[in-house]
Amino acid sequence: MRNAYVTGILLLAALALLCAAGIVYAEVTDRWFLGGGMIGVLLLAYSFIVLFLRKLGIIGPRRAER
Amino acid sequence: MSVAAGRPPRADTERGRYGRVMTALLRGTLRLDVVVNRVYPSDYNPLYYTGGLANLFLFVLVLSGIFLFFYYEASLGGAFASVRYITEGVPYGGLVRGVHRYAADGFIVAALLHLFRNWFTDRYLFSRDNPWISGVFLLAFGSFVGFTGYQLVWDERAQALTGLFLGLLRSLPVLGAPLARVFLGGEGVGDATLVRILFLHIAPASALYVLLWWHYTRLRHPKIWPPAVWVLFCLGLVFLLAGVMPATSGLPATPAARPTAFPMDVFFLLPFWLLNWLPPGVVGALLGALLVAAFAVPYLGARERPEAMDVRHAGVAQVVDGNCTGCELCYYDCPYNAIVMVPSPAPGLSRAAANRTLLAVVLESRCVECGICIGACPFEALELPRFLERDVKALVTEAVRA
Repeated sequence: MRNAYVTGILLLAALALLCAAGIVYAEVTDRWFLGGGMIGVLLLAYSFIVLFLRKLGIIGPRRAER
Repeated sequence: MSVAAGRPPRADTERGRYGRVMTALLRGTLRLDVVVNRVYPSDYNPLYYTGGLANLFLFVLVLSGIFLFFYYEASLGGAFASVRYITEGVPYGGLVRGVHRYAADGFIVAALLHLFRNWFTDRYLFSRDNPWISGVFLLAFGSFVGFTGYQLVWDERAQALTGLFLGLLRSLPVLGAPLARVFLGGEGVGDATLVRILFLHIAPASALYVLLWWHYTRLRHPKIWPPAVWVLFCLGLVFLLAGVMPATSGLPATPAARPTAFPMDVFFLLPFWLLNWLPPGVVGALLGALLVAAFAVPYLGARERPEAMDVRHAGVAQVVDGNCTGCELCYYDCPYNAIVMVPSPAPGLSRAAANRTLLAVVLESRCVECGICIGACPFEALELPRFLERDVKALVTEAVRA
Protein backbone atom coordinates (compact mmCIF):
# COMPACT_ATOMS: atom_id res chain seq x y z
CA MET A 1 0.00 0.00 0.00
CA ARG A 2 2.91 2.30 0.80
CA ASN A 3 4.22 1.97 -2.77
CA ALA A 4 0.77 2.81 -4.12
CA TYR A 5 0.67 6.02 -2.08
CA VAL A 6 4.20 7.01 -3.15
CA THR A 7 3.31 6.35 -6.79
CA GLY A 8 0.12 8.38 -6.33
CA ILE A 9 2.07 11.30 -4.89
CA LEU A 10 4.54 11.23 -7.77
CA LEU A 11 1.76 11.14 -10.37
CA LEU A 12 -0.13 13.94 -8.66
CA ALA A 13 3.05 16.01 -8.40
CA ALA A 14 3.56 15.53 -12.15
CA LEU A 15 -0.06 16.55 -12.76
CA ALA A 16 0.44 19.63 -10.55
CA LEU A 17 3.53 20.55 -12.58
CA LEU A 18 1.51 20.26 -15.78
CA CYS A 19 -1.19 22.45 -14.29
CA ALA A 20 1.38 25.06 -13.28
CA ALA A 21 2.55 25.13 -16.90
CA GLY A 22 -1.09 25.33 -17.97
CA ILE A 23 -1.68 28.32 -15.70
CA VAL A 24 1.25 30.14 -17.28
CA TYR A 25 0.00 29.24 -20.78
CA ALA A 26 -3.52 30.43 -19.93
CA GLU A 27 -2.19 33.68 -18.55
CA VAL A 28 -0.04 34.33 -21.63
CA THR A 29 -2.96 33.63 -24.00
CA ASP A 30 -5.58 35.41 -21.84
CA ARG A 31 -7.64 32.22 -21.43
CA TRP A 32 -8.80 33.07 -17.96
CA PHE A 33 -11.27 30.26 -17.51
CA LEU A 34 -8.69 27.70 -18.57
CA GLY A 35 -6.31 29.23 -16.03
CA GLY A 36 -8.99 28.99 -13.36
CA GLY A 37 -9.68 25.36 -14.18
CA MET A 38 -5.94 24.65 -13.99
CA ILE A 39 -5.76 26.32 -10.57
CA GLY A 40 -8.63 24.08 -9.49
CA VAL A 41 -6.98 20.87 -10.67
CA LEU A 42 -3.68 21.97 -9.09
CA LEU A 43 -5.35 22.53 -5.71
CA LEU A 44 -7.22 19.23 -5.95
CA ALA A 45 -3.95 17.45 -6.72
CA TYR A 46 -2.35 19.13 -3.70
CA SER A 47 -5.23 18.04 -1.49
CA PHE A 48 -4.75 14.40 -2.46
CA ILE A 49 -0.97 14.70 -2.01
CA VAL A 50 -1.59 15.94 1.55
CA LEU A 51 -3.99 13.04 2.12
CA PHE A 52 -1.49 10.47 0.85
CA LEU A 53 1.30 12.00 2.94
CA ARG A 54 -1.00 11.64 5.95
CA LYS A 55 -1.76 8.03 5.04
CA LEU A 56 1.98 7.40 4.80
CA GLY A 57 2.42 8.87 8.28
CA ILE A 58 4.82 11.56 7.06
CA ILE A 59 2.49 14.29 8.29
CA GLY A 60 -0.11 13.87 10.97
CA PRO A 61 -1.85 15.20 14.03
CA ARG A 62 0.15 17.04 16.64
CA ARG A 63 1.72 14.81 19.26
CA ALA A 64 -0.77 15.95 21.87
CA GLU A 65 -3.65 14.84 19.64
CA ARG A 66 -2.31 11.34 18.88
CA MET B 1 -26.30 16.62 36.82
CA SER B 2 -27.22 13.23 38.12
CA VAL B 3 -29.83 10.62 37.70
CA ALA B 4 -32.37 10.88 40.46
CA ALA B 5 -32.70 7.76 42.52
CA GLY B 6 -35.86 5.71 42.69
CA ARG B 7 -37.16 6.39 39.22
CA PRO B 8 -37.32 3.62 36.65
CA PRO B 9 -35.55 4.33 33.37
CA ARG B 10 -37.88 5.39 30.63
CA ALA B 11 -38.67 2.66 28.16
CA ASP B 12 -37.65 3.30 24.59
CA THR B 13 -41.20 2.70 23.46
CA GLU B 14 -42.36 5.74 25.43
CA ARG B 15 -40.31 8.01 23.18
CA GLY B 16 -42.71 7.40 20.34
CA ARG B 17 -42.18 7.35 16.63
CA TYR B 18 -40.09 10.56 16.62
CA GLY B 19 -37.63 9.06 19.08
CA ARG B 20 -37.34 5.82 17.14
CA VAL B 21 -36.73 7.66 13.87
CA MET B 22 -34.08 9.84 15.55
CA THR B 23 -32.38 6.77 17.00
CA ALA B 24 -32.30 5.14 13.56
CA LEU B 25 -30.83 8.32 12.06
CA LEU B 26 -28.22 8.48 14.83
CA ARG B 27 -27.16 4.91 14.09
CA GLY B 28 -27.04 5.67 10.36
CA THR B 29 -24.89 8.76 10.97
CA LEU B 30 -22.45 6.83 13.13
CA ARG B 31 -22.24 4.05 10.53
CA LEU B 32 -21.46 6.68 7.87
CA ASP B 33 -18.69 8.01 10.15
CA VAL B 34 -17.15 4.53 10.29
CA VAL B 35 -17.29 4.17 6.49
CA VAL B 36 -15.70 7.60 5.88
CA ASN B 37 -13.06 6.93 8.54
CA ARG B 38 -11.90 3.96 6.47
CA VAL B 39 -11.07 6.30 3.59
CA TYR B 40 -9.89 9.35 5.52
CA PRO B 41 -7.98 9.39 8.82
CA SER B 42 -10.35 10.44 11.60
CA ASP B 43 -8.68 13.86 11.91
CA TYR B 44 -9.42 14.43 8.21
CA ASN B 45 -12.99 13.10 8.24
CA PRO B 46 -15.00 15.88 6.55
CA LEU B 47 -18.13 14.94 8.50
CA TYR B 48 -16.41 16.20 11.65
CA TYR B 49 -15.77 19.59 10.01
CA THR B 50 -19.06 20.42 8.33
CA GLY B 51 -19.32 23.70 10.26
CA GLY B 52 -15.71 24.55 9.42
CA LEU B 53 -16.38 23.79 5.75
CA ALA B 54 -19.36 26.18 5.76
CA ASN B 55 -17.08 28.77 7.36
CA LEU B 56 -14.45 28.20 4.66
CA PHE B 57 -17.00 28.71 1.87
CA LEU B 58 -18.28 31.83 3.63
CA PHE B 59 -14.75 33.22 3.72
CA VAL B 60 -14.35 32.53 -0.02
CA LEU B 61 -17.71 34.23 -0.62
CA VAL B 62 -16.64 37.34 1.27
CA LEU B 63 -13.31 37.65 -0.55
CA SER B 64 -14.78 37.05 -4.02
CA GLY B 65 -17.77 39.26 -3.14
CA ILE B 66 -15.50 42.19 -2.28
CA PHE B 67 -13.83 41.81 -5.69
CA LEU B 68 -17.19 41.74 -7.51
CA PHE B 69 -18.51 44.66 -5.47
CA PHE B 70 -15.84 46.98 -6.88
CA TYR B 71 -17.16 46.49 -10.41
CA TYR B 72 -20.90 46.11 -9.80
CA GLU B 73 -23.28 48.95 -10.67
CA ALA B 74 -26.60 48.87 -8.83
CA SER B 75 -28.89 50.50 -11.39
CA LEU B 76 -31.56 49.29 -13.76
CA GLY B 77 -29.53 50.15 -16.81
CA GLY B 78 -26.10 49.30 -15.45
CA ALA B 79 -26.48 46.10 -13.42
CA PHE B 80 -26.58 43.62 -16.30
CA ALA B 81 -23.87 45.46 -18.22
CA SER B 82 -21.59 45.61 -15.19
CA VAL B 83 -21.98 41.87 -14.60
CA ARG B 84 -21.22 41.23 -18.26
CA TYR B 85 -18.15 43.46 -17.98
CA ILE B 86 -17.01 41.54 -14.88
CA THR B 87 -17.48 38.24 -16.72
CA GLU B 88 -15.94 39.16 -20.06
CA GLY B 89 -13.84 42.28 -19.58
CA VAL B 90 -12.17 42.08 -16.19
CA PRO B 91 -9.15 39.72 -16.11
CA TYR B 92 -10.24 36.62 -14.20
CA GLY B 93 -13.51 38.43 -13.36
CA GLY B 94 -15.63 35.63 -14.80
CA LEU B 95 -13.61 33.14 -12.82
CA VAL B 96 -14.15 35.06 -9.58
CA ARG B 97 -17.86 35.29 -10.37
CA GLY B 98 -17.96 31.52 -10.84
CA VAL B 99 -16.04 30.97 -7.61
CA HIS B 100 -18.56 33.22 -5.83
CA ARG B 101 -21.47 31.29 -7.32
CA TYR B 102 -20.16 27.78 -6.56
CA ALA B 103 -18.89 28.74 -3.09
CA ALA B 104 -22.47 29.82 -2.31
CA ASP B 105 -23.70 26.33 -3.23
CA GLY B 106 -20.89 24.84 -1.17
CA PHE B 107 -21.88 26.98 1.81
CA ILE B 108 -25.47 25.76 1.70
CA VAL B 109 -24.47 22.10 1.24
CA ALA B 110 -21.99 22.28 4.14
CA ALA B 111 -24.50 24.13 6.35
CA LEU B 112 -27.23 21.58 5.62
CA LEU B 113 -24.85 18.68 6.33
CA HIS B 114 -23.88 20.43 9.58
CA LEU B 115 -27.53 20.90 10.53
CA PHE B 116 -28.56 17.31 9.83
CA ARG B 117 -25.50 15.84 11.50
CA ASN B 118 -26.07 17.81 14.70
CA TRP B 119 -29.76 17.03 14.59
CA PHE B 120 -29.25 13.30 14.12
CA THR B 121 -26.57 13.11 16.81
CA ASP B 122 -28.64 15.02 19.38
CA ARG B 123 -26.22 17.96 19.52
CA TYR B 124 -28.95 20.51 19.91
CA LEU B 125 -30.29 19.72 23.37
CA PHE B 126 -29.93 21.72 26.60
CA SER B 127 -27.04 24.17 26.35
CA ARG B 128 -26.68 23.44 22.63
CA ASP B 129 -30.05 25.00 21.82
CA ASN B 130 -28.10 28.26 21.51
CA PRO B 131 -25.94 27.12 18.56
CA TRP B 132 -28.99 25.42 17.04
CA ILE B 133 -31.13 28.58 17.07
CA SER B 134 -28.27 30.76 15.81
CA GLY B 135 -27.55 28.08 13.18
CA VAL B 136 -31.11 28.24 11.87
CA PHE B 137 -30.73 32.02 11.60
CA LEU B 138 -27.43 31.52 9.75
CA LEU B 139 -29.05 29.15 7.27
CA ALA B 140 -32.07 31.40 6.74
CA PHE B 141 -29.90 34.50 6.25
CA GLY B 142 -27.51 32.56 3.99
CA SER B 143 -30.37 31.33 1.82
CA PHE B 144 -31.80 34.83 1.51
CA VAL B 145 -28.39 36.24 0.58
CA GLY B 146 -28.10 33.58 -2.13
CA PHE B 147 -31.52 34.49 -3.50
CA THR B 148 -30.69 38.21 -3.70
CA GLY B 149 -27.46 37.24 -5.47
CA TYR B 150 -29.54 35.86 -8.33
CA GLN B 151 -31.48 39.13 -8.47
CA LEU B 152 -28.35 41.27 -8.70
CA VAL B 153 -27.46 39.90 -12.16
CA TRP B 154 -30.64 41.58 -13.44
CA ASP B 155 -31.31 39.25 -16.32
CA GLU B 156 -34.71 37.79 -17.21
CA ARG B 157 -34.48 35.29 -14.38
CA ALA B 158 -33.75 38.09 -11.91
CA GLN B 159 -36.72 40.02 -13.25
CA ALA B 160 -39.01 37.02 -12.88
CA LEU B 161 -37.68 36.30 -9.38
CA THR B 162 -38.28 39.90 -8.35
CA GLY B 163 -41.89 39.67 -9.55
CA LEU B 164 -42.41 36.39 -7.68
CA PHE B 165 -40.76 37.78 -4.56
CA LEU B 166 -43.03 40.81 -4.66
CA GLY B 167 -45.99 38.43 -4.91
CA LEU B 168 -44.76 36.59 -1.82
CA LEU B 169 -44.25 39.87 0.05
CA ARG B 170 -47.70 41.18 -0.86
CA SER B 171 -49.30 37.96 0.32
CA LEU B 172 -48.22 38.80 3.88
CA PRO B 173 -51.16 40.08 5.89
CA VAL B 174 -51.07 43.76 6.98
CA LEU B 175 -47.32 44.28 6.44
CA GLY B 176 -47.19 42.89 2.89
CA ALA B 177 -48.01 45.99 0.85
CA PRO B 178 -45.81 48.43 2.87
CA LEU B 179 -42.89 45.99 2.75
CA ALA B 180 -43.27 45.63 -1.01
CA ARG B 181 -43.17 49.45 -1.37
CA VAL B 182 -40.04 49.63 0.80
CA PHE B 183 -38.42 46.89 -1.29
CA LEU B 184 -39.25 48.62 -4.56
CA GLY B 185 -38.27 52.10 -3.39
CA GLY B 186 -41.15 53.55 -5.38
CA GLU B 187 -44.22 52.47 -7.28
CA GLY B 188 -42.40 50.12 -9.62
CA VAL B 189 -39.04 48.45 -10.19
CA GLY B 190 -36.38 51.12 -10.67
CA ASP B 191 -32.81 52.06 -9.83
CA ALA B 192 -33.77 52.29 -6.15
CA THR B 193 -34.88 48.64 -6.23
CA LEU B 194 -31.45 47.48 -7.38
CA VAL B 195 -29.79 49.53 -4.62
CA ARG B 196 -32.09 47.83 -2.10
CA ILE B 197 -31.35 44.38 -3.53
CA LEU B 198 -27.62 45.10 -3.25
CA PHE B 199 -28.16 46.18 0.35
CA LEU B 200 -30.20 43.04 1.03
CA HIS B 201 -27.33 41.01 -0.41
CA ILE B 202 -24.51 42.62 1.58
CA ALA B 203 -26.14 43.50 4.91
CA PRO B 204 -27.40 39.98 5.79
CA ALA B 205 -24.07 38.59 4.53
CA SER B 206 -22.26 40.86 7.01
CA ALA B 207 -24.75 39.84 9.69
CA LEU B 208 -23.67 36.23 9.15
CA TYR B 209 -20.45 36.98 11.05
CA VAL B 210 -22.39 38.44 13.97
CA LEU B 211 -24.54 35.31 13.96
CA LEU B 212 -21.38 33.19 13.84
CA TRP B 213 -20.13 34.93 16.98
CA TRP B 214 -23.45 34.02 18.63
CA HIS B 215 -23.13 30.49 17.21
CA TYR B 216 -19.79 29.97 18.98
CA THR B 217 -20.65 31.75 22.23
CA ARG B 218 -21.17 28.66 24.36
CA LEU B 219 -18.87 26.28 22.54
CA ARG B 220 -15.48 25.74 24.14
CA HIS B 221 -13.48 24.35 21.23
CA PRO B 222 -15.51 24.84 18.06
CA LYS B 223 -13.89 23.48 14.91
CA ILE B 224 -14.15 26.67 12.90
CA TRP B 225 -11.77 25.69 10.11
CA PRO B 226 -11.35 22.39 8.23
CA PRO B 227 -7.97 20.66 7.90
CA ALA B 228 -5.63 21.70 5.07
CA VAL B 229 -6.60 18.76 2.89
CA TRP B 230 -10.21 19.95 2.80
CA VAL B 231 -9.30 23.61 2.36
CA LEU B 232 -7.30 22.63 -0.73
CA PHE B 233 -10.02 20.27 -1.97
CA CYS B 234 -12.88 22.77 -1.61
CA LEU B 235 -10.91 25.65 -3.13
CA GLY B 236 -9.82 23.37 -5.96
CA LEU B 237 -13.38 22.22 -6.57
CA VAL B 238 -14.87 25.73 -6.79
CA PHE B 239 -12.04 26.92 -9.07
CA LEU B 240 -12.43 23.86 -11.29
CA LEU B 241 -16.20 24.30 -11.53
CA ALA B 242 -15.80 28.03 -12.18
CA GLY B 243 -13.34 27.25 -14.98
CA VAL B 244 -15.24 24.36 -16.57
CA MET B 245 -18.83 25.58 -16.06
CA PRO B 246 -18.59 29.40 -15.88
CA ALA B 247 -21.42 31.29 -14.23
CA THR B 248 -23.51 32.88 -16.96
CA SER B 249 -26.36 35.36 -17.25
CA GLY B 250 -29.54 34.97 -19.25
CA LEU B 251 -31.02 37.59 -21.54
CA PRO B 252 -31.00 41.12 -20.11
CA ALA B 253 -34.12 42.15 -18.25
CA THR B 254 -36.39 44.55 -20.13
CA PRO B 255 -39.68 46.12 -19.06
CA ALA B 256 -41.40 44.39 -21.98
CA ALA B 257 -40.03 40.94 -21.13
CA ARG B 258 -42.43 38.54 -19.40
CA PRO B 259 -40.31 35.46 -18.74
CA THR B 260 -42.40 32.43 -17.81
CA ALA B 261 -39.57 29.98 -17.17
CA PHE B 262 -36.02 30.20 -15.86
CA PRO B 263 -33.19 27.85 -14.85
CA MET B 264 -33.79 26.51 -11.34
CA ASP B 265 -31.26 26.42 -8.52
CA VAL B 266 -32.23 23.78 -5.96
CA PHE B 267 -30.31 25.46 -3.15
CA PHE B 268 -31.71 28.98 -3.32
CA LEU B 269 -34.76 29.06 -5.54
CA LEU B 270 -36.78 26.06 -4.39
CA PRO B 271 -39.62 28.14 -2.86
CA PHE B 272 -40.17 29.78 -6.25
CA TRP B 273 -40.51 26.36 -7.85
CA LEU B 274 -43.40 25.67 -5.49
CA LEU B 275 -45.16 28.73 -6.91
CA ASN B 276 -45.86 26.64 -9.99
CA TRP B 277 -48.58 24.87 -8.01
CA LEU B 278 -49.29 26.89 -4.89
CA PRO B 279 -50.46 30.48 -4.42
CA PRO B 280 -47.90 32.92 -2.90
CA GLY B 281 -49.74 33.09 0.43
CA VAL B 282 -49.49 29.32 0.90
CA VAL B 283 -45.79 29.25 -0.04
CA GLY B 284 -45.12 32.13 2.38
CA ALA B 285 -47.01 30.30 5.12
CA LEU B 286 -45.06 27.09 4.40
CA LEU B 287 -41.74 28.96 4.64
CA GLY B 288 -42.83 30.55 7.93
CA ALA B 289 -43.97 27.18 9.30
CA LEU B 290 -40.67 25.58 8.26
CA LEU B 291 -38.73 28.29 10.09
CA VAL B 292 -40.84 27.97 13.24
CA ALA B 293 -40.49 24.16 13.15
CA ALA B 294 -36.70 24.49 12.82
CA PHE B 295 -36.60 26.79 15.86
CA ALA B 296 -38.78 24.36 17.81
CA VAL B 297 -36.63 21.26 17.17
CA PRO B 298 -34.60 21.51 20.44
CA TYR B 299 -37.84 21.63 22.41
CA LEU B 300 -39.82 18.96 20.57
CA GLY B 301 -40.71 15.81 22.41
CA ALA B 302 -40.89 15.11 26.12
CA ARG B 303 -37.52 13.37 26.23
CA GLU B 304 -35.72 16.66 25.72
CA ARG B 305 -36.87 18.03 29.07
CA PRO B 306 -34.52 17.42 32.02
CA GLU B 307 -37.37 16.01 34.15
CA ALA B 308 -38.30 13.59 31.40
CA MET B 309 -34.70 12.41 31.21
CA ASP B 310 -34.71 11.93 34.97
CA VAL B 311 -32.09 14.63 35.36
CA ARG B 312 -32.01 16.50 38.62
CA HIS B 313 -31.83 20.32 38.71
CA ALA B 314 -28.56 20.94 40.53
CA GLY B 315 -28.34 24.75 40.54
CA VAL B 316 -25.75 26.97 38.88
CA ALA B 317 -22.17 26.26 40.01
CA GLN B 318 -20.82 28.54 42.73
CA VAL B 319 -17.26 29.48 43.56
CA VAL B 320 -16.19 29.04 47.18
CA ASP B 321 -14.22 32.27 47.36
CA GLY B 322 -11.92 31.33 50.22
CA ASN B 323 -10.72 28.12 48.53
CA CYS B 324 -10.15 29.39 44.97
CA THR B 325 -6.44 29.55 44.10
CA GLY B 326 -6.90 31.09 40.64
CA CYS B 327 -5.29 28.03 39.04
CA GLU B 328 -7.60 28.26 35.99
CA LEU B 329 -8.24 24.49 35.78
CA CYS B 330 -12.01 25.00 35.88
CA TYR B 331 -11.69 27.78 33.30
CA TYR B 332 -9.96 25.43 30.87
CA ASP B 333 -12.23 22.48 31.57
CA CYS B 334 -15.63 24.16 31.30
CA PRO B 335 -17.01 23.18 27.87
CA TYR B 336 -19.59 25.96 27.93
CA ASN B 337 -17.30 28.96 28.48
CA ALA B 338 -19.22 29.57 31.69
CA ILE B 339 -16.19 30.36 33.87
CA VAL B 340 -14.03 33.46 33.52
CA MET B 341 -10.96 34.45 35.53
CA VAL B 342 -10.90 37.94 37.01
CA PRO B 343 -8.17 39.74 39.02
CA SER B 344 -8.51 38.63 42.62
CA PRO B 345 -9.75 41.47 44.83
CA ALA B 346 -8.28 39.84 47.98
CA PRO B 347 -6.24 36.78 48.97
CA GLY B 348 -8.09 33.51 49.66
CA LEU B 349 -8.54 31.98 53.08
CA SER B 350 -6.82 28.63 52.57
CA ARG B 351 -3.04 28.34 52.49
CA ALA B 352 -3.08 27.37 48.80
CA ALA B 353 -5.23 30.39 47.96
CA ALA B 354 -3.24 32.91 49.99
CA ASN B 355 -1.12 34.16 47.06
CA ARG B 356 -3.66 33.97 44.30
CA THR B 357 -3.79 36.66 41.62
CA LEU B 358 -6.93 35.44 39.85
CA LEU B 359 -10.38 34.41 40.97
CA ALA B 360 -12.85 32.17 39.11
CA VAL B 361 -16.29 33.63 38.43
CA VAL B 362 -19.24 31.62 37.06
CA LEU B 363 -21.37 33.24 34.35
CA GLU B 364 -24.81 32.07 35.40
CA SER B 365 -26.36 32.49 31.97
CA ARG B 366 -23.93 29.98 30.50
CA CYS B 367 -23.71 27.41 33.30
CA VAL B 368 -25.58 24.19 32.54
CA GLU B 369 -25.02 22.68 36.01
CA CYS B 370 -23.01 19.78 34.59
CA GLY B 371 -20.51 19.64 37.46
CA ILE B 372 -17.41 19.31 35.25
CA CYS B 373 -15.77 22.28 37.02
CA ILE B 374 -16.22 20.54 40.35
CA GLY B 375 -14.31 17.53 39.06
CA ALA B 376 -11.64 19.85 37.64
CA CYS B 377 -11.02 21.73 40.89
CA PRO B 378 -8.52 20.08 43.27
CA PHE B 379 -9.15 22.69 45.98
CA GLU B 380 -12.88 22.16 46.59
CA ALA B 381 -13.50 25.69 45.45
CA LEU B 382 -16.59 24.95 43.37
CA GLU B 383 -19.93 23.42 44.26
CA LEU B 384 -23.39 22.86 42.90
CA PRO B 385 -25.50 24.42 45.66
CA ARG B 386 -28.41 21.99 45.29
CA PHE B 387 -26.25 18.96 44.78
CA LEU B 388 -23.46 18.85 47.32
CA GLU B 389 -20.76 16.26 47.81
CA ARG B 390 -22.70 14.60 50.60
CA ASP B 391 -25.62 14.07 48.16
CA VAL B 392 -23.31 12.27 45.75
CA LYS B 393 -21.93 10.12 48.58
CA ALA B 394 -25.46 9.27 49.69
CA LEU B 395 -26.43 8.25 46.17
CA VAL B 396 -23.30 6.15 45.73
CA THR B 397 -23.87 4.45 49.10
CA GLU B 398 -27.49 3.77 48.20
CA ALA B 399 -26.47 2.32 44.84
CA VAL B 400 -23.79 0.11 46.41
CA ARG B 401 -26.25 -1.22 48.95
CA ALA B 402 -28.82 -1.93 46.28
